[in-house]
Amino acid sequence: MRRSCLKYVLCCIPCLVVGLACADEYRNEPIKPIPHETRLRPDKIKLGDRLFHDVRLSGDDSVSCASCHVLSGNGADGRVRAIGIGGATGPIRTPTVYNSRFNFVQFWDGRAANLEEQAGGPIHNPSEMGSNWDQVITKLRKDTDFVREFRSTYEDGISAGNISDAIATFERSLTTPDSPFDRFLRGDDQAITELQKHGYAVFKSLGCIACHQGANVGGNMYGRMGAMGDYFGDRGNPTDSDLGRFNVTGDDEDKYLFKVPGLRLASRGGPYFHDGGAENLGDAINIMARYQLGRSISDSDVAAIESFLESLTGNHPRLRAP
Amino acid sequence: MMRRRQFLPISVLLAATASVVLLYMENRGIDAESHTRNNQLLLRTENTVVNLDRDVLRVTTSQLVQFDPLVATVNNLRRLGIELRNPERGLAGGSGEAVDQGITAFWEAVEKKLVLMERIKYQSALVQNGLHYLPLAVDDLVRTNHTLGDRLMSLLVQIFAFSRFHDSTRADTIEKELQAMEAIKPPGVGQGETLNNALVHIRANLNGIRELVHLQERYDETPTQNSFDKLYKAYADYHSAATKRAHHFSLLQVIVTIGLFFGLGLAINRMNRARAVTEHAWERLHDAVESLSEAFALFDHHGKLVLHNRRFLDFYPWLDRIVAGGLTLDDMHKENGKHLEVVTDEAARKADGMNVAAGNTTFAEKLEDGRWHLGSDNSTSDGGQVCVRVDVTRGKADEAELKKLSRAIEQSPVTVVMTDSQGNIEYVNPKFEQTTGYAAREVLGKNPRILKSGDKSPADYSNLWATIKSGKEWRGQFLNRRKDGSDFWEAASISPVWDSGGEITHFIAVKEDITAQKQAEEQLLMSAAVFDTTSEGIMITDRANRIRNVNPAFTKITGFAHEEVVGKEPTVLSSGHQTPDFYHRMWRQINASGHWSGEIWNRRKDGSAYPQRLSVSVVKGKTDEVEAHIGVFSDITLQKDNEERIRRQINYDPLTSLPNRSLLLEKLHDALVRAKRERWLAALLFVDLDHFKTINDTMGHETGDKLLRMASKRLRNSLRDTDTVARFGGDEFVIVLEDVGEPKGAADTAQKIIDIIVKPFQLPNREVHISASIGITFYPTDCADADTMLRHADMAMYQAKESGRNRYQFFTTAMNNHVRRRMEMEQDLRMALGRQELALEYQPIIDLKTGRCHSVETLLRWKHPQRGYVSPAKFVPVAEDTGLIAPIGLWVLQTAFRQLSEWRKMGIPEINLAINLSSSQQRLGLSASDVKQMLFEVGVPANAVKFEITEGLMMENSQEMRQWLDAFKGIGMELSVDDFGTGFSSLSYLKRFPMDELKIDRSFINDIPNDSEDASLVEAIIAIARKLRLNVVAEGVETTEQLAFLQNLGCDYIQGYLFSKPLPPERIPEVVRGDFKNLLPCQLPMKDVQPPFDTQPEPRTRLLAK
Repeated sequence: MRRSCLKYVLCCIPCLVVGLACADEYRNEPIKPIPHETRLRPDKIKLGDRLFHDVRLSGDDSVSCASCHVLSGNGADGRVRAIGIGGATGPIRTPTVYNSRFNFVQFWDGRAANLEEQAGGPIHNPSEMGSNWDQVITKLRKDTDFVREFRSTYEDGISAGNISDAIATFERSLTTPDSPFDRFLRGDDQAITELQKHGYAVFKSLGCIACHQGANVGGNMYGRMGAMGDYFGDRGNPTDSDLGRFNVTGDDEDKYLFKVPGLRLASRGGPYFHDGGAENLGDAINIMARYQLGRSISDSDVAAIESFLESLTGNHPRLRAP
Repeated sequence: MMRRRQFLPISVLLAATASVVLLYMENRGIDAESHTRNNQLLLRTENTVVNLDRDVLRVTTSQLVQFDPLVATVNNLRRLGIELRNPERGLAGGSGEAVDQGITAFWEAVEKKLVLMERIKYQSALVQNGLHYLPLAVDDLVRTNHTLGDRLMSLLVQIFAFSRFHDSTRADTIEKELQAMEAIKPPGVGQGETLNNALVHIRANLNGIRELVHLQERYDETPTQNSFDKLYKAYADYHSAATKRAHHFSLLQVIVTIGLFFGLGLAINRMNRARAVTEHAWERLHDAVESLSEAFALFDHHGKLVLHNRRFLDFYPWLDRIVAGGLTLDDMHKENGKHLEVVTDEAARKADGMNVAAGNTTFAEKLEDGRWHLGSDNSTSDGGQVCVRVDVTRGKADEAELKKLSRAIEQSPVTVVMTDSQGNIEYVNPKFEQTTGYAAREVLGKNPRILKSGDKSPADYSNLWATIKSGKEWRGQFLNRRKDGSDFWEAASISPVWDSGGEITHFIAVKEDITAQKQAEEQLLMSAAVFDTTSEGIMITDRANRIRNVNPAFTKITGFAHEEVVGKEPTVLSSGHQTPDFYHRMWRQINASGHWSGEIWNRRKDGSAYPQRLSVSVVKGKTDEVEAHIGVFSDITLQKDNEERIRRQINYDPLTSLPNRSLLLEKLHDALVRAKRERWLAALLFVDLDHFKTINDTMGHETGDKLLRMASKRLRNSLRDTDTVARFGGDEFVIVLEDVGEPKGAADTAQKIIDIIVKPFQLPNREVHISASIGITFYPTDCADADTMLRHADMAMYQAKESGRNRYQFFTTAMNNHVRRRMEMEQDLRMALGRQELALEYQPIIDLKTGRCHSVETLLRWKHPQRGYVSPAKFVPVAEDTGLIAPIGLWVLQTAFRQLSEWRKMGIPEINLAINLSSSQQRLGLSASDVKQMLFEVGVPANAVKFEITEGLMMENSQEMRQWLDAFKGIGMELSVDDFGTGFSSLSYLKRFPMDELKIDRSFINDIPNDSEDASLVEAIIAIARKLRLNVVAEGVETTEQLAFLQNLGCDYIQGYLFSKPLPPERIPEVVRGDFKNLLPCQLPMKDVQPPFDTQPEPRTRLLAK
């Protein structure tokens, strides 16, 4: 009797939350604006920022997170393959760090559930930063400045968990709100051009929107690369990382599944896809149409979509004007 | 045993108390608060799964157009899952196994759902994607073919409906219609393809939706609700069981508490009984103390007297009256102080240091009535004090007696060690400490073997012990070791000490340090060994100088055995080489200073004399009178031989065995001294073998050496014994003739030498002919010392060579003057650079085609402070001979290059530079890269500079010379042949060398056009040059006639006074800027033209070349 009563009360809470969320006035579209407020602790952001740019996180003090995630560019490195310590080449294209907080999982194959888990990945990868927690912690402990800052931020000072937490917090602060399209969603009809509006219509009518939706215009589901065509067969030279989610679950149904990337910064430059298979945005749109939607599209449609994608990019103080 | 019995009840009580506390805690564990929390967590989880199900349903029915809310729900669920499975949270791991299993099963189901959910998301996106496109796909057909269009549209509507409401009948309808339409072949153009495309996409979509439906079914089948209900039930069961258990625990708590009280009662009873036992024990202790023969008193930690015996008051009768009123420790000390004196034995205190520190003291008390007490105050564990006193009045008298004896031992000059019967040290006296370095306290209780150095075997020791244990005394020596590791010898006497019962109780060792004595013995032994084994002979004579002892080396050197010489005087060894005076002086020094050393010849037993190095020392006795002489000597025959060999090596030429230069100088010096004394004429012949170098080069050094040996033998044989012939170096020999009478004598000898050298030499394989050139000087007529004589003879020899070799030549004063002038010039030239006496002048060279100055030739000038301008013809050869050409040449190049650079900076870039080059500069290492570097430094291009060389240089025609010149060409410079026509150059040289230009010598120009021979020669030279594509410069052009003639022949350049004499550099710019066209014959009448500059002919100067 008592139990069911509780249940009733609990059920009401999400309903109320949903109700409140709906009260925020914006257009009812599959794409949602990036929220302005982040509610992150400023001291953690500051500490995470330092760590993000600190080369001591790599084995030979040559590479930092920022080496591949160039914040002034597009939050990635513009290369087909990431380059780690000693010039080692990584297996996959670096994804952008911007708006990564909106991704439902991290890495192309979703092997990290959140940014905290993700932070340790490249540090331990021999072809990326080639280090380990013990080594990193030993190096950071020699820096009295760092030790003091950790103490004032975390009760237990420097630890692997706290390093990840600080970096993840900093990365959560890397969002790009206030894009023209977000302003459009919030009711400003003049915020985007007619071409961009047309591009959005094409984006929806072609079906792109089915996967690229939500606040990050993607990043909230897995999609199969080559849903409507044999992308890898046509491309040739298959690699292990082409198997995608399969590398994590070992389930045949998960072959070629990748986290659908968010398109918020797509217009900031390629290369595109997990393998960097498209050099520029136009090529990327054409490949997507052919292999994901199973059709070819006109050049004018490509141009319109490109224009629409430009309207998705918002602001961040670190992001340099293109 | 007692303790264990007491411990048991206490531990039972403690255990009971602990269990009461535990039970209380256990009951607290299941409090209402955590139960509520767990309940809430479970319900929130269930609710979130319900939300997830709802969201998934919205996805499959295309109601959720973006997945962010779904992601938020999943994240929420995962957070709850972590809480659910976290043992610290209290639910998992603390609520029984059933709950843990329930959580695991439930979460597995949730994970399964999450995986399916991801697939549904993807599948749904695919379907959405298709649905977005389908209207586009059918659009064409709808417009062109209405019938088909309508059917397609209706199919499309069905598909949209199916995507929203998944009922299977609708799927079947769509399937049927689809199959029907796939069979249609539409008539219109392109309609077939459009239809097919639309149908393919519709079918893909239908299949997609079916797959989505299938996934939804699988999702719905996942038993999350079921497993959650099980989990919840498990938790509810656990909770009710826990509540029931808590009730039981409360009951148990009451029972245990009652038991606890009962136990406490028992414990109090037992304690009362224990007190009675203690009182009884105290009485017994009192009795025991009373029966002691010693005085006894016990004070508690406050210093109050607790227990004492009767005897205590007997010892201290004055305390009797205080005891009754409660005696304290302080009272006792105060009262005792009036009646007795405490004597503390310092030594005992020190040895007992530890006890003092711990508060236990032993002391003696001297009472006023003469009695002695031995006292001991000891602290008890609880801070009190036990005082015990014994009457030792009798023992104290004995002690005084002993003290006297011990004093004797303490002061003894020998070491005394006392051990117990086991050999452990009980006593050592101060001497022991002094001798061994060990302090007494370091060795007490230890065995004397700590001193062992290892000189005695175990058998020795067992023998020692057997002797002393049998009651006898042992005497002997030990090599012992001090604390610092050094060894020392001791003579020891060890004897046993018996007690009254005849048992051995102690051993006493009395030992004396005999190290010094031992060392003296060893020293003696070593000296004897040295005496016997040294390789130097030793002879000892007594006061009367009779041989007392000799060593084996003496016998070895002299051949005399010990017994043959002992008792005799050392004169048996005398060789007679020394004068009596020598011995006299020797003995005088020995007697005066006690020592003599020197070399002396002595005689062996076989009569042979030999040199020896002898040193004699006097040994004096205590009264300072001579006791013995010691002579030590070594045979230095070998050393003497070596000295002789070295002397030869120093003074004689190893190849020819003739005296070398140094011995020659010595002999020459002696000869001059004799000539001066005897007033006769001495001659020096400087002989040089002609062409020897060629033979050495062509036939090898071995042949050359052989020839030298043969020649020197001929020289030696052709001279008197009194004459000296020496090898002066290489193929040069010097002969000194003494008392030659008149110059002709020397000339005869010289001719004789020339004749014998000219005779063929028979060398292996071939016959060789050489000749000799000889220079002759005389003393005292030509020169006053040996050095000058050699130099002059050398000079004369050169003169002989110059005059055609195979002859002799007397030295003359003219020769000398010439040499002296040359030397002076050399000296001055050496300083000329430093004194800045050198300067450069430049003579313009005019291009006949343009009438402008094309280049300048660099000319070196030397202004001597006394002699004025010195002709380069005179000083350049000197510079070349002495090597001064190297620094001067460099200076010329640097100065000229810098000058050229300055002109260029002044804006006359077209001017070029010609500089004369000497072949000596090649030998002295001037290289093209040096020149390139110098040019680079001043920024002048190489092609602006031309080197002028002589024909003679080309004639040398060596490979090196050609490479040298090629290198200059290689860096871009030009080369010119200077003074062409004066030497013996052939046309082939012109072709072989990389030349750019010819300069016709002024001697050809002087007389043209009047001298027809010269005119035709110049004409020919210009013609040849043209054929060889060489430019032509005419030097020494002084008249307009010459100019006109040369211009007619097509000469390129003109140099000479007609245009300009050599000028200082500052005047060059004006010349270069000037135009000489007006001087050219085609513009002017050929006669009556005055040269623009001073026509006074200056001697023609050459720079740097012969």
